[in-house]
Amino acid sequence: MRNAWAGLRARPGRAALTGAGIAAAALVLGVALTVAVGLATGFDRAATQADLPSVVARFDEEDPRDVADRVRRLPNLAAHSFRYEVTRVELRAGANRLGEGVVHVVGGGRRGYAVVAGRDVGDAAGEVVIEQGLAREWDLGPGDTLDVGEAGPAEVVGVAVAPDNVAFPLARTARVYLSEAGLLQQFPEGSRFPANLVLLWAADEERADVLLSFARQSAYGLSSVRFLTREGLRSLVEQASGIVVALLVAFAIIACALAGVLLAAGAHSEIQRRLAQLGVQRALGVTPGAVTAVAAAQGALVAAPAAAAGLLVGGLLAAGGTDAVLAALNELPPGPGARATVLAGAWGGVVALVAGSAAWPAWRAARRPPAGLLRGGDVSPPRKAARGRGGMTALGARLVTAHRARYAAVVAVLGMAAAVVLLLLALASLLERLRDDPATLGKRYSLTAALPADRADEVRALPGVAAAAPRYEQRATGASALGSPLRVIAYPGDHTIFEAPALAAGRRLAGPGEAEVGQGLADALGLRPGSTLAIQPGDGEELRFRVVGVVRALQDEGRVAYVRPDRLLAASPSLEAPLAVRLDDGADAAAVRAALARLGAEPRAVGGATGDDRGFLAVLAGLLRLVAVTVGLVCLYALVQSLALTVRERRGAVAVLRAAGADHRALRRLLFGAATAVVIPAAVVAVALEEVVLAPATARLAAGYADLPLGAGLGQAVAVSGALLGLAALASWEMARRLAREPVVTGLRETGR
Amino acid sequence: MSRRGPLTRRDALAVLGAGAAGLLLGCGDDGPGPRPGDTLRRALADPDGDGLLDASGGIAMVDRTDLGRAGRAGDTLATVAQVTDVHVRDAQSPGRVPFLDRAGPRFGSAFRPHELLSLHVLAATVATVNAAGPDAVLITGDLIDSAQGNELAWALTLLRGGTAAPASGASGYDGVQAASIPDPFYYRPDIDAPRHPGLLRAALAPVRSAGLRAPWHAALGNHDLLVQGEIAPSPVITAVATGDELIVAPDRELLRLGDAGRLDREQLETLLRAGLPGETITVPRDPARAHVGAASLVRRLGGRGDRLDRAFAVGDDLWVVVLDLVRRDAGSGGIVGAEVLAALTAGLNAAEDRRVLVVCHQPLHDATGAEPAVALLDEDPRVVAVVAGHRHRNEITPRRTPAGGYWLISTASVVDFPQQWRMLRVRAAPRGATVLETWTVDHEGRPGDPDDLAGVARDLAFLDPQGGRPARAAGAVRHRNARLHLPARSLRAPAPRAVPPAVTADPASAGFGAGDAF
Repeated sequence: MRNAWAGLRARPGRAALTGAGIAAAALVLGVALTVAVGLATGFDRAATQADLPSVVARFDEEDPRDVADRVRRLPNLAAHSFRYEVTRVELRAGANRLGEGVVHVVGGGRRGYAVVAGRDVGDAAGEVVIEQGLAREWDLGPGDTLDVGEAGPAEVVGVAVAPDNVAFPLARTARVYLSEAGLLQQFPEGSRFPANLVLLWAADEERADVLLSFARQSAYGLSSVRFLTREGLRSLVEQASGIVVALLVAFAIIACALAGVLLAAGAHSEIQRRLAQLGVQRALGVTPGAVTAVAAAQGALVAAPAAAAGLLVGGLLAAGGTDAVLAALNELPPGPGARATVLAGAWGGVVALVAGSAAWPAWRAARRPPAGLLRGGDVSPPRKAARGRGGMTALGARLVTAHRARYAAVVAVLGMAAAVVLLLLALASLLERLRDDPATLGKRYSLTAALPADRADEVRALPGVAAAAPRYEQRATGASALGSPLRVIAYPGDHTIFEAPALAAGRRLAGPGEAEVGQGLADALGLRPGSTLAIQPGDGEELRFRVVGVVRALQDEGRVAYVRPDRLLAASPSLEAPLAVRLDDGADAAAVRAALARLGAEPRAVGGATGDDRGFLAVLAGLLRLVAVTVGLVCLYALVQSLALTVRERRGAVAVLRAAGADHRALRRLLFGAATAVVIPAAVVAVALEEVVLAPATARLAAGYADLPLGAGLGQAVAVSGALLGLAALASWEMARRLAREPVVTGLRETGR
Repeated sequence: MSRRGPLTRRDALAVLGAGAAGLLLGCGDDGPGPRPGDTLRRALADPDGDGLLDASGGIAMVDRTDLGRAGRAGDTLATVAQVTDVHVRDAQSPGRVPFLDRAGPRFGSAFRPHELLSLHVLAATVATVNAAGPDAVLITGDLIDSAQGNELAWALTLLRGGTAAPASGASGYDGVQAASIPDPFYYRPDIDAPRHPGLLRAALAPVRSAGLRAPWHAALGNHDLLVQGEIAPSPVITAVATGDELIVAPDRELLRLGDAGRLDREQLETLLRAGLPGETITVPRDPARAHVGAASLVRRLGGRGDRLDRAFAVGDDLWVVVLDLVRRDAGSGGIVGAEVLAALTAGLNAAEDRRVLVVCHQPLHDATGAEPAVALLDEDPRVVAVVAGHRHRNEITPRRTPAGGYWLISTASVVDFPQQWRMLRVRAAPRGATVLETWTVDHEGRPGDPDDLAGVARDLAFLDPQGGRPARAAGAVRHRNARLHLPARSLRAPAPRAVPPAVTADPASAGFGAGDAF
């Protein structure tokens, strides 16, 4: 350790440069880890803290005493509590007003929500607990007053979080909780409230499916029974937040991997650069073990503070945005302790990685004969003489490419960093398309019209309309997996006219009783062509379909099934279906909308897969920008390091050039040539890496059930290449400026040694 | 007479064969944990409430001194096993009404998630009864579920020793538990949790039983004689049972009709002739599902005529009187008519100075017209206990009488949780006192073992929301494992008595839909 420390003190500039690289990579890692861990574990954390029930059963109003006997008989039941939910309640506070308030009247027993500020409702009248989204959006807190429909003004006594839906305003509704005892004081004419929700907590969460199975078997006579499990709620929240969070987490994981590669590559190249020094040490009789230990210790000593700083800054930078995303999803951020633990673990990992990456090549090198090391070291002359063509720019390129292994490493590192930037750009453009373009969901219709099915012919006759048909849609769960929500979509004829996600297996459906299922649903229920899809619609008996095809649908995480409507209508005759309207290519959508309006329809544009809450998307965009900036810093670092090393190694040659009259401008050309020799192949590497590795990996991580178009476009590739060239210019300008400050004689003296 | 002599090759092969068989049996026992059995040594419990039964410690007998001081138990006079409410069931029969469960608890367990496994449970019960080695076995009614001939044949085969398969109709399963049945109110093991893929097919495989080693005596239960334990068979009802139309989900109107009040025979037959309204599936016809008449049933259960009242000795010191309280028209509750009183009087008159155990399916003291019978028992100091089933729950209550009192013992069913039978050991105590020791015994099905179908049956019975778990049918320890003390008294036979007059039965109670207990 003493030798390592002495070695670092002998070259403080180099150590600082190495440390800066590690800090930059750690910054990426800190950002990525904070985002990935925060978002990936947000639901579980909130569910645990809120004591989210294992199963939520909804039904039409009943006297809870009538339902309680059935509930108490269920197996694996630890506790239950009833609620009465009232929707479309007007909420008002100051100038804010919302007609989509949802009131939950809570009685005794476990709550299923976490109070994150203030306290829970008590038995007193005029108290309300509000959901966090409403508190944040309307700037309410304990002590404020909220008007709750007919219940009138109530004092906000607490703020609650329950991850059973996304938060207001990402959800259109906002939820508030009133106590039954309080309301009965206010409205003494009623003896108690009915119930339309029962929350069930399993004694063993792992066996919640047993509780759910028997709950369903015991539900005869209750109307409109729907069950939701924890996993179902997780799916719904993830579906509501769109694909963006999954993309963000996937990207963060990729960024983590990139940071690891950067760190390992940096440490490795540092040892490659010191091969001659290692040779001298070995020639002096230092054992391979001691050489390795010193290399590892030096790596650890540099990495420890640099990684700590990078991770800390990265964590702090990403925490705000991550917390905002989690709040929008009604999820809770990790506590400071949990975050510190994750970052501390990452710090340990970074230090170990750097030390290991330094030790391994040092060990391999130290076991070679010292003479070989010295031959391959920096003191050896280049094997090929430089040809005298191309001027200063070409000379710069030849200087940087002289050490091929290091050159390749720098190109690879820069290429990887640039590939991540390309991925970011592709992500941004995909998010935009997902928000605005229904075609990314495989939808070929762009409008819906609230008209009865028998008026489809009238719509088809409108100019600019290519096709129109009723589109039935029903929420359901898998009959064998009641925690698996899915969406059933039905058209009376060929659904591919309106929706045609890519067929992954089997064939398209051809008649009643057949189904095409999304890959996500197929994975969840173990379906394949030939198997039976058994579903439980919201109410009534189960339905069976024979799976004939599997499609790669992006909608609802691929948990969709396309069928013909016959069986849906037989089970639910009152099922309504707006008309899906597909336009001719180049048709004037506004004119068609106007024509539909004249028919009495309410035409609506079809949206994409992401939520349309601008605040939510802005937060996500901010997080992506943050990652982009940190990766940009890595790129700049890689370039500067490469140029600095080149200049340092070729100090003598540069000094001779300067002595021969090369001015500041010539030096810039020289260095720009060196930088360009790095960034051009790096751009090629970046494009290839993004296309072949990163885009498929991210798409698979985020949505293995669908085909996400995450490949970068030509414009994006050109933009990244241009940005790299800009960085090259910036780095060469800076290095030239520094070099110009150094006396020529210093370099010449070094040459003469 | 035994033969002694040099060991022959045949003897050596027999010894080797026995050894190999023992080894195989031993191997077969190497499942996940020891097999359940006597609850004095090991019981099953679910302390964490997760719906999974685990082995726990034994349950020691508690002394019950409600009727007399605890005395030192002396010689064992007799040991008797009581097995009750097995409900061997043809789960594929169109004559069943599993859909009635959805009409609410009034109809009790018309459908059970483990209903295809009743033969496995019976075979596993026979195994532990044999292991306990009682002097006699009392099967106190509801051996079968719906008075069908095939149900009776299967049950008798397993009690006598042999192989039976719970299959009716064609091969394969055709019933409400098939995965293809889109009715979420039935448990379908292939798709519903806890999933047991292939259970339906496995359940239809033949079940082997060694048969009861001890002599066994059956009491008649309402399910043995009445369709679904409620109504006497008729040609119309039998035609449904042997027919090819199995109703899966009735129209709600039908259930409302049931809700409005009990259906009488005429209403039911009218409905059946028209075809029950609702969703049906077609199943293969099977004449083996025909209902058994009373005379045939009694004969096959070892009685004579069309009633199963009888009395017999178990050993030298215990006299057992079996009473047939089953209505012959409709209704699940017991009834005490002139025939019962005659049989009881005759039985007591023949008991001499032995201790007496009265056995019936429905609890005698709750039966219609029971007062004269109860009066007879109350006056008799030899009566130790009245043992019954029907309620599917363990309950032991003292009956205090001027003659010293006796115990009313109700025992949980084999079909519903806890799927246990009861051991009774009658022991003498000084000066004519009696100690009746009783404990419950689990059948040998292993919990949590998907390959042990009897164990699966108990696991499912435990989960059943209409079963014995929520009804707390196992009862408190004092109703399960207890030492029941009776005071010292003279056991001398009283003077023979005349048959008391019967009380007229209440005809209003004779309707369809009263249901068994829970």
